[in-house]
Amino acid sequence: MVATALAAAPALAAMRVVATTTDLAALVAVIGGDLVTVESIVPAGADPEAFEPRPGDLGKLRRAGLLVRVGLGYDYWLDALVNQTGEQRLMRGGEATLDASAGIPLLEIRGQSIINEGGHAHGMANPHYWLDPENAIIVTAGIAEALVRIAPGHRDRILANREGFLSQLETRRTLWSRTLAPFAGTKLIAYHNSWPYFARRFRLNVIAFIEPKTGVAPSPAHLVQLISEGRRAQVRAILHEPFDPEDASRFVAQKLGVPLVRLAISVGSLEGTNDYLALFDYNVATLAKALGARSP
Amino acid sequence: MSDALALLVLPFAASVVFVLMHAYLGVHVLRRKIVFADLALAQLSALGATVAFANGYPAASAAGFGYALLFTAIGAALLTLTRSLARVVSQEAFVGIVYVVATAATILVVDRSPQGAEHVKKILVGSILTVEPMDVAKFAALYAVVGFLHWLARRPLLAVSGEASPAGRTQVAVWTWDFAFFMSFGVVVTSSVTTAGVLLVFSLLIVPAVIGSIFSGKLPVVLLIAWGVGIAGCATGLAGSYALDLPTGAAMVTALAGFLVLAGLAKVLLFVGSERRQANLRVAVQAMLAVVFLAVLSSCVWLMINPTGDQPLLALVERATGIGPAQFLRPSERDAFENAARDSMRFQEEVDRLDALEKAARYQGTPLPDDEIRRIASYQQSFNEMTRGERFVQDVLQGKARTRERWIIGVPGAFIALLGLLWLARRVWPSRLSGRNKDGVAARDSVVT
Ligand SMILES: [Zn+2]
Repeated sequence: MVATALAAAPALAAMRVVATTTDLAALVAVIGGDLVTVESIVPAGADPEAFEPRPGDLGKLRRAGLLVRVGLGYDYWLDALVNQTGEQRLMRGGEATLDASAGIPLLEIRGQSIINEGGHAHGMANPHYWLDPENAIIVTAGIAEALVRIAPGHRDRILANREGFLSQLETRRTLWSRTLAPFAGTKLIAYHNSWPYFARRFRLNVIAFIEPKTGVAPSPAHLVQLISEGRRAQVRAILHEPFDPEDASRFVAQKLGVPLVRLAISVGSLEGTNDYLALFDYNVATLAKALGARSP
Repeated sequence: MSDALALLVLPFAASVVFVLMHAYLGVHVLRRKIVFADLALAQLSALGATVAFANGYPAASAAGFGYALLFTAIGAALLTLTRSLARVVSQEAFVGIVYVVATAATILVVDRSPQGAEHVKKILVGSILTVEPMDVAKFAALYAVVGFLHWLARRPLLAVSGEASPAGRTQVAVWTWDFAFFMSFGVVVTSSVTTAGVLLVFSLLIVPAVIGSIFSGKLPVVLLIAWGVGIAGCATGLAGSYALDLPTGAAMVTALAGFLVLAGLAKVLLFVGSERRQANLRVAVQAMLAVVFLAVLSSCVWLMINPTGDQPLLALVERATGIGPAQFLRPSERDAFENAARDSMRFQEEVDRLDALEKAARYQGTPLPDDEIRRIASYQQSFNEMTRGERFVQDVLQGKARTRERWIIGVPGAFIALLGLLWLARRVWPSRLSGRNKDGVAARDSVVT
């Protein structure tokens, strides 16, 4: 009787993990397996920059056994929310919180303040690091360590889950690299500066951005410059993130006569991107198709 | 330049089409005294579009348009109803409530289906710069139809806009015409707002119509003026947006507002009798001087109170004249100040150089290994730290200079500004002051007698 209750206990009391974004939630789900239940604060497909927390998020945080955040100011609204819960363990440096950016080789370090215009912080460094699949190795190491710290009894299962994920990741990554290899050095224009990590891994050259500042429409001079620069550099596609207005991107794509490619910057932000590996499957296939259409 | 011209032709064509329709509707809106009705209707149609989105129809589809139209019709009905309710409270209050509730509802719907957010953002910011030829043609066709219908029904529509219960019309007839007006208005605004954005649509409606009404009470004259000024304002805004590298919609709104100010000045300075004109001119010059003196006075007092705080006016003067705080530093301090400026520039160049190096390695040559990236990042971080240090040195020295300036510049500046204000006051109120004196003398005389 007692034995069955004990055996059932871990399954019933699955560890609650809260991640700020769907990307981190997806990685936690893979590493934690059925030991954890994961929720993200920003819903799939929503814009983390324009995110406004709800009262329910406070409850989510209070119940969380572990809180995983992107860091680098990307989820800057989290601090105020955590302060409201008053839980020391969830605050920066607390034992139940994990900043997933720890140990990541960061790109585009800038000397500005942490939160710059529009709330979207590219101040300290570019925060879109999860878009390099190699960085998932570092992020999952942090997640596994944090989970083991909380549930030392499940160490082996957590590490086995991670090993399984990493071997899958390795197979897929070879595939992705092979798919995009013919397009190494390809010049692209992006709407938002979301792609430095992706570009580094897959050897792409994003030469300019349509959006001058978050939430501000591009000026005609900027568009003229983009178009002439794009022509000169022979840009081959325009990358566009969901939930940003498409007109300017479409306009530049039309003027340059190149495809407009909608890529997902987060798990679940487009259909068919429901887990971390699917996110790259989708982005790599979509990009390769768009670029391949123009290069025989 | 030809590239720029090609880029600006379509937005200009679109804004001409917009001005022709919106300035006319603006005259109605001004007569009805509900200038924010367009925002309420536009927001309701946006709500319709997001509801459609939440139900799985894209905003551009027929169903999406149907939802937007349905919600616009609801808005038109609400505005029609509130007009008869608006006996006690002004109708604008109801318009405001409709707007706010529609906005809140939109946020709630977007929360359920985040993909609709793009549409909401689009309405807020607008994208007149990237309007397509097909869109301009569609707008022109739609507005031609609406304009023609309005021309056919101009008498009842204008009568109903003029007063809530015009003589010789039954309540039902008034309601019908009210609804017809709001519905056509809603259709126009719904279509234009996705391209021009709420700010620009609002300005196109109100500003040209106001300018027209400043100069005339006759509808044809008001319309001609409004159209001319509206088109000129849009052209100025577009050109300014290109020349000064500004977001187009905001530049156009500002240009239209500038024309409103010019029109106001022209009205009081040009379109009046010569005596009145002189008096107005004097008032205008005096007001301007008063503003300048007050600004100088407050800036000098602020400098004396808090020399190390932000000194916006002083900084502006320093930048314009090139006479910086360095003038008030000792030679050794000045060297340190200049060194700090030079060093912080050098450090930033280092950061940029490393950035360029890393960027180039993303797609050419051998890729940089992670550890190399980390090394670059830590170099950049320390250069940024050092830049911050140099900036701090600059700030401290500037504060020192400002603390010395505080009496050298603050006191005489404030004194001159005060003198200027006193001189102005004597010029503005001499007659009244002497008049009161005379009255006072007369009163005393009467007491004496
Ligand atoms: Zn970003």
